[in-house]
Amino acid sequence: MSPAGLAWRSLCGQPARAVLGVAGIAVVGALLFDMLLLSRGLVVSFRDILEGAGFDVRVTATDAPPLLGPPLRDVEKLTAAVRALHEVRDAVPLRTGRAEAIAADGSVLEVELFGSGAREGVGWTVLEGEGLNPSGDLPVVVNRRLAARLALAPGSKLRLRGTCQASSAVPPVELTVQGVVAFPFDAASGLTAMTSFAGFLQVCAGEEADLAELLLVASRREAGAEGAVAAIRRARPDLNTFSNEQLLNRLQRTDFSYFRQISFVLSSITLFFAFLLVTTLLTVSVNQRLGELAVLRALGVRRRRIAAGLLCESALLVGAGGLLALPAGALLALGLDRILRAMPDLPEKLHFFVFEPRAVLLHVALVALTGVLAALYPVYLVVRLPIAATLRREVVS
Amino acid sequence: MSAAPIVEARELTKVFPMPAGPVVALDGVSLRIEAEEHVAIAGPSGCGKSTLLHLLGCVETPTAGTLALDGRDVAALHDAERSRIRLTRIGFIFQRFFLLPMLTAWENVELPQSEMGTPKAQRRARTAELLAYVGLEHRAGHRPSQLSGGEMQRVAIARALANRPRLLLADEPTGELDEATGAQIADLLDRVNADGTALVVVTHNAALAARAGRRLAMRSGRLA
Repeated sequence: MSPAGLAWRSLCGQPARAVLGVAGIAVVGALLFDMLLLSRGLVVSFRDILEGAGFDVRVTATDAPPLLGPPLRDVEKLTAAVRALHEVRDAVPLRTGRAEAIAADGSVLEVELFGSGAREGVGWTVLEGEGLNPSGDLPVVVNRRLAARLALAPGSKLRLRGTCQASSAVPPVELTVQGVVAFPFDAASGLTAMTSFAGFLQVCAGEEADLAELLLVASRREAGAEGAVAAIRRARPDLNTFSNEQLLNRLQRTDFSYFRQISFVLSSITLFFAFLLVTTLLTVSVNQRLGELAVLRALGVRRRRIAAGLLCESALLVGAGGLLALPAGALLALGLDRILRAMPDLPEKLHFFVFEPRAVLLHVALVALTGVLAALYPVYLVVRLPIAATLRREVVS
Repeated sequence: MSAAPIVEARELTKVFPMPAGPVVALDGVSLRIEAEEHVAIAGPSGCGKSTLLHLLGCVETPTAGTLALDGRDVAALHDAERSRIRLTRIGFIFQRFFLLPMLTAWENVELPQSEMGTPKAQRRARTAELLAYVGLEHRAGHRPSQLSGGEMQRVAIARALANRPRLLLADEPTGELDEATGAQIADLLDRVNADGTALVVVTHNAALAARAGRRLAMRSGRLA
């Protein structure tokens, strides 16, 4: 009988111990799997959102986080210059502000307002109607929640009063809804509208023209994001130009690093618990079977083979528990993700736990390593087992 | 009976270091066991019988003296080599049977053959032959917990014979059995010996010792 066969029979011979062991590994493994998903979940999810917008390079005035720093100036000229670069396919300036949407009954809703300098509708998914057509008469596209709250559809009129400058009161402006869209960075409960640059300046009357908080750039495929970044930096070294990847790297070092650190600490703790659990189970099992093991040795079974049997036993416990941990961890991750995403003002598409094949591979590798390490002490006990003394003890006991 | 002895021990000494001071379990024991011989070793508890058996079975190394099995000095061999000798040349029977509880009688008998690398067809034939030899072919699929004490000891004897050892070492083989069952096991051991396997039995049981061709008495680590 092979070491694996003996290990299997040994586990079957003590079903309660085996079931408890597998259940324990499954619980600990599920937590480990979740921590692995969490460690990169935000990055992966954020990358998806960034790439979903259709732009791979961003330009801001300073190195402050996008939309939080001072605006870009001379945007019309800047946009034209960037669009003229060989490495650039398109560039779209973006303005941000706030407005009040006035309902038919006179009630108002706080709305996040964007002004887009796009030549054609880009950067969102059209759900109804069409995208923003800047040549239209004060066009606007709205997100699904705003459309639902105000019963808007393509062709409807939307009255917006800008609150970009809190100190001044401006009259409302009527815009024509061209479409209902999903914006990549929409918050779960956010109301969002996007109009043309001209529409934005009319709604936020008094705002300085030719400004933008952000310039979104799409690179040409042959140049790639890094090529476009380099070209823009050469043309405008005074501005802060970065690719999606560079933004993600910065976020990984700053904001997202807390999640990575938490996941690292919790992963280490769960692995340590798994190690303790398997070591304890195997050590107890070995101590209960010292007589059997001594007899096996007396019969001529080699140390190596008995050690291999213990490693197989560990592998079976850890393997079964580790496999069960994957669906259990996935279910747990769904629940935890739902809880975390309930935080206000987070983009609706942002997830904290994101499935990746590499997380499964890492999970398998870590669990396997834990299984091997956990078997070392019991294997040491078996290898050092004095046959005659153990047989004497067993007879006396 | 061949001229070369199976076992030739000279001045075997075994000292166990203990916190209260060293304990001399064997004190210069010399012993020669011929092929197909039946030897019984008797003596009071703690006189060193089991220690002598463990030394003869290569599960213990002597503190001093020499031990040759089939003319080969085994005292200085590495663990792997001694394992190989135990697997191929020596059979063990224990007072408490020590069958593997998760394996059936068949699997317990097959285990040493599997360890030796015997091909499957040969293993099957040998296992069936041995279970028939000990009268347990009908219990092949039963686990030790489903067998009586006498049946477990018979399975243990079949397991000990699995690789056709030249020497069978039995440590109180009837110690856990009632008188009638013990007598059946003694009959079986006699048959094993008569079929050509040298047998060394360590026992308190006078009746069992009386069946041996040669009876040795031990006292305080020495052969009397």
